[in-house]
Amino acid sequence: MAGKPVRPASAIDQTRRMLSLVTYLRERPGARIEDVARAFGISEDELVSDLDVLPMCGTSFRGGDLLDIDTDGERIWWHNPAALGAEAAEPLRLAADEATALLVAARAVATLPGLREGDRQALLRATAKVEAAAGEAAGASSRLSVTFESEGGVFADVDRAISERRRLWIRYYSPARDEVTEREIDPIRLVSVGHTYVEAWCRRSEARRTFRLDRVAEIEILDEPSAPPEIEPRDLSQALVQPAAEDPEVVVEVGPGGRWVAEYYPHDSADELSDGGLRITLRTPDPASLRRLALRLGRDGRIVSPPELADSARQAARGALAAYDGLEADRSAGTEVSHPGRADGRGEERPGTEEQRL
Amino acid sequence: MAIAKAERLMNLALCLLGTRRPLSKHELRESIEAYVEAFGPARGGAASGPERGATGSDDSFNRMFERDKDDLRELGLVIETVESLDGEIGYLARRDSNRLPPITLDAEEAAALGLAAKVWQQARLAGAASGALQKLRAAGLPEGVDPYEAHGALEPHIPVHEAAFEPLMLACRDRRPVAFDYRKANAAQPEQRHVEPWALECWRGHWYLAGFDRDRGAERVFRLSRITGRVRSRGGRFGAPVPDVVTVRETVAGWAGETADRSALIRLRSGAGYPLRAKATAVRELGDGWDELEIPYGHGLDAWLVEFGPDVVVMGPAELRADVVDRLRAVAKG
Repeated sequence: MAGKPVRPASAIDQTRRMLSLVTYLRERPGARIEDVARAFGISEDELVSDLDVLPMCGTSFRGGDLLDIDTDGERIWWHNPAALGAEAAEPLRLAADEATALLVAARAVATLPGLREGDRQALLRATAKVEAAAGEAAGASSRLSVTFESEGGVFADVDRAISERRRLWIRYYSPARDEVTEREIDPIRLVSVGHTYVEAWCRRSEARRTFRLDRVAEIEILDEPSAPPEIEPRDLSQALVQPAAEDPEVVVEVGPGGRWVAEYYPHDSADELSDGGLRITLRTPDPASLRRLALRLGRDGRIVSPPELADSARQAARGALAAYDGLEADRSAGTEVSHPGRADGRGEERPGTEEQRL
Repeated sequence: MAIAKAERLMNLALCLLGTRRPLSKHELRESIEAYVEAFGPARGGAASGPERGATGSDDSFNRMFERDKDDLRELGLVIETVESLDGEIGYLARRDSNRLPPITLDAEEAAALGLAAKVWQQARLAGAASGALQKLRAAGLPEGVDPYEAHGALEPHIPVHEAAFEPLMLACRDRRPVAFDYRKANAAQPEQRHVEPWALECWRGHWYLAGFDRDRGAERVFRLSRITGRVRSRGGRFGAPVPDVVTVRETVAGWAGETADRSALIRLRSGAGYPLRAKATAVRELGDGWDELEIPYGHGLDAWLVEFGPDVVVMGPAELRADVVDRLRAVAKG
């Protein structure tokens, strides 16, 4: 146990890989390192470290049966493929976790509305074959499921624009400002993390932006070629919204009913308060966009700073109330009843977190 | 330096796969270099009564051997335990029970699976998915197609940020009851829950657990991000039957106000509130800078309408208007 696992479960991963590698190499004398690494989805360094271990492994009780596998740095040679016996290098059945991981992912990808029909058919065929081959091991895969969501028509247009390298015109809803704006974008790629987004170069702001497809009100593929500048691809897998250090700070205090804010808004800190609430510090390029949050929170929270933001929420609420004065305002006792069951903000859409710089 | 664990596991796997007769623990200990190096040669050599006179190093060997077998089972090896006529325990991994059934996939199918295998962002499932692909590769899965190339610009990812995910996934897989502390959306303190976990579902990027809540005696859906602290395994079996189909999404959609059973009438300032317009079943221009909309009225609509501040006025029903006014007053007082 005194090994040096680079990441959790790496010894299991490596063992599983080496077992497959043995089967694979047996069929392919002189296989090229480059090709094998690609086929196994690993780096050449990882493959070479496997090749360092394999000669220490064997089937049986005396050293003579160790696998005689070596490499000249380019190709891999196995000098005693008989060492494993006639049938000892056959492909191994799938483990329950392996079947689950592959099948759940395949079913999820097949639900992507924008997937090309040919690809979806191929995926469904492959899924059925893997299910059959996995047998019982496939059973547990029904206990896990994932649904991606994306707007089919918008997705198809973005996908086409990317493959044909053409510019897009969109009308896009920005919840932070509650407005729909027109802009031209050069799409770079589509990313699905729960919702589906297009990463693009925005011609209006001359910057990289991500747009959530379900906020695209209208879309058109233009004749102009798409010409996004050369930019470093970002790892969008962890957080789509990454506030910058120089963004202004906003402090919000919420009661127990407003704890959801910490789940939806990327924040710097969330400190427990004695009443079961939280004091949340977050940064945003546009604090005014959080007015919606202040309004939504109601009695479940308040903006501590900046004071202008708290003030603008108060003004907005007063302005809204004024409209009801004209409409035989209902001042009966019932209106002051609080609705704890509804105060939790479980609605999924949160303002102000999309279409920000990445 | 100790021999790497992967080398030890690999040797154990090859020994168990390569043998035609069951091998005793003693034989395995003697023939695998990593065990010899760590624990020295087995004592006495007597194959029977290994427990008698066991030393500390025997105990630690036994523990390591059990863990190693579990690890190999984790990656799919079926290891049989066989008791011989004279009472000796032996182990082997029969080829018949470990062989992948024949499977033939064409290049398109291979590319599609290649894409699917890359979507997991959780270490254990990402490792398992690549492991599955590697086994299929060894079985002749066609190569040479870059999955992203074949599928255009799409990069799907399954996000897993919740610490509770892995223990719950294993508990669902093995049908083991669990206990965890759960903080309801509007509760100040977490509360311990005892659950028979059925299924996990990811919807809109968040993970939910459906299961039988033992304290409440009914099915419940939990949001993983609200589980605080560790997920603890409980002994024993499930007491309630597991339904054939577990649907998490309908429950969550109800929370999110997407199962509207009524409709509401609102006035909306022209040009504002695009998402409300997108949901509207009817829109009428009033001409004075305002439009009148009919929209579905489900759970949480009041909180949503308040976000639009002075751009929305609720006309009815009265209950919704009262809720909105109530919320606005709380903010105005702030």
